[in-house]
Amino acid sequence: MRSSVAERPRLEEQLTLLELVDRVLNKGVVVTGDITLSVAGVDLVYVGLRVLLASASTLDRLAQEPKAKAAA
Amino acid sequence: MSGWYVFGVADAGLAVELEGLRLVRAGQLAAVVAPVDPDEFTEEQLNDRPWLEEKVLAHEDVLSRYLREGPVVPLRFGAIYRQLDEVVELLGERRDELTEDLERVRGRVELGVKGWVDRGRLEETLARKRAMSPTSAPGRAYLERRQAERDVAAEASALLADVARSVHARLAELAVAAVANRPQPPELTGRAEQMFLNTAYLVPAADEALRREVGTLDEQHRELGLSFETTGPWPPYNFVGREEP
Repeated sequence: MRSSVAERPRLEEQLTLLELVDRVLNKGVVVTGDITLSVAGVDLVYVGLRVLLASASTLDRLAQEPKAKAAA
Repeated sequence: MSGWYVFGVADAGLAVELEGLRLVRAGQLAAVVAPVDPDEFTEEQLNDRPWLEEKVLAHEDVLSRYLREGPVVPLRFGAIYRQLDEVVELLGERRDELTEDLERVRGRVELGVKGWVDRGRLEETLARKRAMSPTSAPGRAYLERRQAERDVAAEASALLADVARSVHARLAELAVAAVANRPQPPELTGRAEQMFLNTAYLVPAADEALRREVGTLDEQHRELGLSFETTGPWPPYNFVGREEP
């Protein structure tokens, strides 16, 4: 399911990554570690979104390519 | 400077130390940790997409591997402690909550469901169903057409809300627990269709009923321009943690 880093990710993998980032950054039990990125004044929700938004142009490009699998 | 990254909490009786990982045990709980350089985890790094991808994938990978052996309670990304003793303290302080979470997710997995709409197709279908009657006066025809378009758009929105509600309710019947999240915006999904449903369900690990039902719902709604898909199984990210942050 995971591509090697050298390969350009396909749209489907991008969506899986989005799912993943959404869960890993925004869900799960919150603990206060010695270093907890979210307490440093930046909400991880927005960090994750910002990073993904920055790559939205990549997503657009991928979306316009013919999909390998027929979308429903 | 060294530190310990905590991925999640597993059942101390079932979990084993997998390659590159350590278990920090306290009673029934075992925190899954790995040595990291805490200096690497900065806010700036969070904006480095390849770095973030790598770390997020690693987080998921570790939790998924533990999910195969037994229950696992995912921690949110980026929890780092300087000392292992502090991880033991964490398990002690949060014991009741973590134990409760661990039992809730035991033998279960999370499935994600997304609902997509081809808005143009949906509105076309609705407009056809209205069987718009042709009018004689050109001026009136224009106004009526504009009104009809507005009506169709409103009808489409109402229909999507209805479908989202009923599909979620139906799927929740097949699950131990259910969560509705906000649909992701098109800038993020990069997909032509609009996401109108973004939900997660906690189901018994080997149970295919929900996945099958999503397939059925998908077929039933395709004519309207709607589609549904299942993702996962995931570690139960959406079903742990006492409060919704």
